Amino acid sequence: MNYFQLFNIAPSFDIDLSELSSSYQTLQKTVHPDNFAHTSEQQQRLAVQKSAQVNDAYQTLKNPLKRAEYMLIERGVDMPNEQQSFSDTGFLMHQLELREMLEDIQLSSNPEAALEDVQAILDNESLALSQIMQTQITENNRASNSAACDNLRKLKFYQKLNIDVERLEESLFED
Amino acid sequence: MALLQIAEPGQSTVPHEHRLAAGIDLGTTNSLIATVLSGSAKTLSDESGQDILPSIVSYQAEQTFVGITAQAYTVADPENTITSTKRLIGRSLSDIKSKYPSLPYQFCGDENHPEISTRKGNVNPVQVSAEILSHLKFRAQDALGGELTGVVITVPAHFDDAQRQSTKDAAKLAGINVLRLLNEPTAAAVAYGLDSGKEGVIAVYDLGGGTFDISILRLHKGVFEVLATGGDSSLGGDDFDVTIVNYLVEQAKLVRPLSASLERQLMQQACFAKEQLSCHDEVNINLSINTNNHWSYSLSRATLNELISPLVNRTLRACRRSLKDASVSIEEINEVVMVGGSTRVPLVRSEVEKHFNTKPLTTIDPDKVVALGAAIQADILAGNKPESDILLLDVTPLSLGLETMGGLVEKVIPRNTTIPVAKAQEFTTFKDGQTAMALHVVQGERELVDNCRSLARFELRGIPAMTAGAAHIRVTFKVDADGLLSVSAMEKSTGIESSIEVKPSFGLEDKQISQMIKDSMHNAADDIQARMLKEQQVEASRVIESVQAALIADSKLLNPEEVLLIENAIKSLVHITQTDDINAIENALKIVNDSTAIFAERRMDSSISQALAGQAVDKI
Repeated sequence: MNYFQLFNIAPSFDIDLSELSSSYQTLQKTVHPDNFAHTSEQQQRLAVQKSAQVNDAYQTLKNPLKRAEYMLIERGVDMPNEQQSFSDTGFLMHQLELREMLEDIQLSSNPEAALEDVQAILDNESLALSQIMQTQITENNRASNSAACDNLRKLKFYQKLNIDVERLEESLFED
Repeated sequence: MALLQIAEPGQSTVPHEHRLAAGIDLGTTNSLIATVLSGSAKTLSDESGQDILPSIVSYQAEQTFVGITAQAYTVADPENTITSTKRLIGRSLSDIKSKYPSLPYQFCGDENHPEISTRKGNVNPVQVSAEILSHLKFRAQDALGGELTGVVITVPAHFDDAQRQSTKDAAKLAGINVLRLLNEPTAAAVAYGLDSGKEGVIAVYDLGGGTFDISILRLHKGVFEVLATGGDSSLGGDDFDVTIVNYLVEQAKLVRPLSASLERQLMQQACFAKEQLSCHDEVNINLSINTNNHWSYSLSRATLNELISPLVNRTLRACRRSLKDASVSIEEINEVVMVGGSTRVPLVRSEVEKHFNTKPLTTIDPDKVVALGAAIQADILAGNKPESDILLLDVTPLSLGLETMGGLVEKVIPRNTTIPVAKAQEFTTFKDGQTAMALHVVQGERELVDNCRSLARFELRGIPAMTAGAAHIRVTFKVDADGLLSVSAMEKSTGIESSIEVKPSFGLEDKQISQMIKDSMHNAADDIQARMLKEQQVEASRVIESVQAALIADSKLLNPEEVLLIENAIKSLVHITQTDDINAIENALKIVNDSTAIFAERRMDSSISQALAGQAVDKI
């Protein structure tokens, strides 16, 4: 049973998140260990296992990047691992620029404003990329799936940048 | 011959009995026990009508006192009177000493197993907590006239794995069956949500004696979904007191170290002043430094506010981070619920109101709301409310990860992940011919291992010698519904496995616990046997009941041979349970469990498809 079947929703990238969430809650009301706290240890273990599976499936489908990755893997697309080299040098150069921008924030006279600027750039660029990826996933042929896969890898670069932005924000505004 | 009695379809053959269950708020300063009586949650009082039990244990020569009676010894005998043990539980000795440098106790034991030396011998913080829990258990059993089948114990949402495990160990020592460890703000949300019937996004601001939690929850159709939680497991009203004490020491020109009894006196005066300043603008402080040296001082609310303002700001910072983690803006918060005694401090209320731009709610007594919520959850978990539509979806408060090369942390489960959760990650060897791998499990948000909490270390041995990077080692992290972690590692090509219940380095070992249980009983061997026998019998009756009910409801999922197999296994279990042969019962239980494993799985899968089929019908 794949995740879409588990939640009884159509296997498309463009899913109705409120429908997903309501299916999720219905499933958890059925399998959550709280329903089995008074039953045998075996039942409790099984409930923990099922409930964890439902949680994992929900997190995968809810998050666009994880959903994309899951769909591409389900389609049998060969997902290169993160260490594998990346051929789009233009993109990599741009990533370096973005990293430099991020490092410069600490030196800026108004770090808060600088941080917001960088965040806006990141948001815009990753939104554009994810829209292209969405079209490619929906197209669903060999070429488009492979292109979607490349864009997914690019989006993961942005995801990492966002984590660094968050770290920076915490270190800047602590105390 | 069939064993089953005929009953209404879907109903258990065993008549439903109300199971006695309770919720315990094991607080830093005060503890409470509550239960659901004829539909509504109530706290239980002692003979004198007091429901609040001060979390104080005093080891006196003639007996061990708990609560009000122990409180009487705090100043006179500070070394043997343990207060705020919750701040010590699940912590290392150096951690305790650096955080609370002026505690009056004589610490002993080693770094990872700190103990306090008292006239009754050395006691571990887990044992002190167990005294409080057991006191509350007996209070409930007296009030309810029977033994408790299970208890929900609340813990700060921000408690780490070691602190949770130690709390559970304390319950074990007290002879309590823990149905669930429940996060305090979640418990408060349950009590509040059911009481008000409101829906939407709420923030629970819980500032207790020793801990601070902030949780952001979405309440929708009986589902309490925790979106994010944060806080500080060592920030609370006690810290307000410490700040005041330090200020007073300075004002009175006292030079530390002071006597343990003077430290306690200062603490009491500080706490008293803080409470008085909630409704007065000024308060007089009187200290007897020695028999002919008295000192008095007038402390104003303005000074208090100045002193505690950095602490209050720390809580607001945690609020900001949790809102961000929850992806919720301040405008989206419908309500802020105040929990914990320290939210009585006017500055806390006004700052929280300013921060969330909404008047915080204090309709349910902030001292009792957690215990009431825990009681409601205990009632449901005990199986007294099969029709209940309530579901609590809680999260892990801190990220869990593994140490990788260079002292860095690889996060396996990020904070605020809904539990229960199981996540696997693959690692590989970095040297040719490497046959073992050391795994270091850590908890925390920082990138460097040294800045995180070390939870456990274990080794995976017997990896076949391969070239570097060729082995595939799959490490699985599992967090159960109590928020407790277990980790296992497996080399994929060989299936060699190693696993660990993450018994944190700072807690008690299983054998220490059973030794303590033994020590606490007079006829040790017999009593332990009796306790084990009873535990097995209880588990057996749970199994018999649930399997019989399952057969009636779902025997269609089995073929006749499978039904017969299960019926026979149950039949022999029913028979053997009446004996006092622990091993035979254990064996019979195992046979039933083995024979019903597939059945249980099929039932779960069938209930999953039925649940969503029902939903699809609803939509039409």
